[in-house]
Amino acid sequence: MKKINSDSSIPDSKSRRVFLKQIVSGGATALMIYTSGVRGGHETSRIWKQRSTEHHWAYIIDVDKCIGWGGCVRACQRENNVPEGAFRTWVERYVVTEDGGVYIDSPEGGAKGFEPVGEELKAMAKRAFFVPKMCNHCENPPCVQVCPVGATYKSPEGFVLVDHDYCIGCAYCVQACPYGARFINHEIKKSDKCSWCHHRVKQGQRPACVEACPTGARKFGDLKDPESEVSQILQEGIWTVLQPAMHTGPSCFYIGLPKEVI
Amino acid sequence: MNKPSAFTHLYRLGALFLVVIVAFLIIRQFATPSSWNYEVWYRGDALTEEAKKPMLHGGNDSCRSCHEDVVKEVKKRKHKKLSCEGCHGPLGTHVRGEEKIAAAEVSNQSRWQCLNCHEELISKPQGFPQFTDEVEKHKTIKEGEVCLKCHEAHDPTP
Repeated sequence: MKKINSDSSIPDSKSRRVFLKQIVSGGATALMIYTSGVRGGHETSRIWKQRSTEHHWAYIIDVDKCIGWGGCVRACQRENNVPEGAFRTWVERYVVTEDGGVYIDSPEGGAKGFEPVGEELKAMAKRAFFVPKMCNHCENPPCVQVCPVGATYKSPEGFVLVDHDYCIGCAYCVQACPYGARFINHEIKKSDKCSWCHHRVKQGQRPACVEACPTGARKFGDLKDPESEVSQILQEGIWTVLQPAMHTGPSCFYIGLPKEVI
Repeated sequence: MNKPSAFTHLYRLGALFLVVIVAFLIIRQFATPSSWNYEVWYRGDALTEEAKKPMLHGGNDSCRSCHEDVVKEVKKRKHKKLSCEGCHGPLGTHVRGEEKIAAAEVSNQSRWQCLNCHEELISKPQGFPQFTDEVEKHKTIKEGEVCLKCHEAHDPTP
């Protein structure tokens, strides 16, 4: 046994060494290609992956301009027959206190406006602001991935929509959305969400919430038009998205978003 | 009598599979909508149906077709950037086709209508005009008195 081993181990160990070397170098190369590929792919697919369609819509929310009047929420509810208690878009109020606490409220989604905060909280408050929220119309929508019947889809122009004829109301998408933008519409027993007012945009109008906004906190436009307001703002490069670590690639961009917002 | 083949059970199984596969393909043919998009995986007609939904809000430009003079006048005032429908209600409940079906009056003329935007809140952007008790005339407001007693809705300069 011993003899056989020592005799045959000489060429074997050589080839084994070569083999191990190749494994290590090959593995390292593959890892490098893989990671650079993932990073590069992620960055390009995030927003500037140009669509081949005529338009490339984008939505901008300027937190510094929102006054929290809730007219956007009301306009959305009227325009899209949103049932009571459900919201396609809503406004949250954040109050950040001196001791680092963050208090968030959104009574009726902000549809009736906001009452002043209590005296106690007002005394502690360091900063306070309103944050409108809605479906982010992601580039890689998790809700579309989980739909078992192909009822929710991303249209070629970038709208994430629900086909109510095919939806079975299983609510997988409601759980999958990291932004809480989806809900089950209990009147029709189907999943429902913001459609960026697809029907209005197709008829040359802006979404109802954008139309209702008196201060320009909500903006909607075409990234293919370099003169449009959204193109100009995004060119400046001072924007962020909600939960970028989710790698969903939102098409709703926030300006002036404080770090407390999730 | 011929002896049955040793593979008869396999032939039967094969035939059964064939029948099931053919049945599946036929059912699939009928069950899949003709507009199904295999690339994006959705029913193409759903998108065209979505685009055909009626609009309720017409935007400020839609008001101009009948109320050109009012729109022109408001354009010079303080509230020129506001959506008419925000206070007056949506176009869809005011006009159907070319016919006026209801008045577009501001249904709620209470203080809430103004305070909805102008109530003093710590979360509002700095510089946004907010109701304050520091104004001399505001100190003497009585219960039930509306802002419109002194302010003009389209041009509420202090």
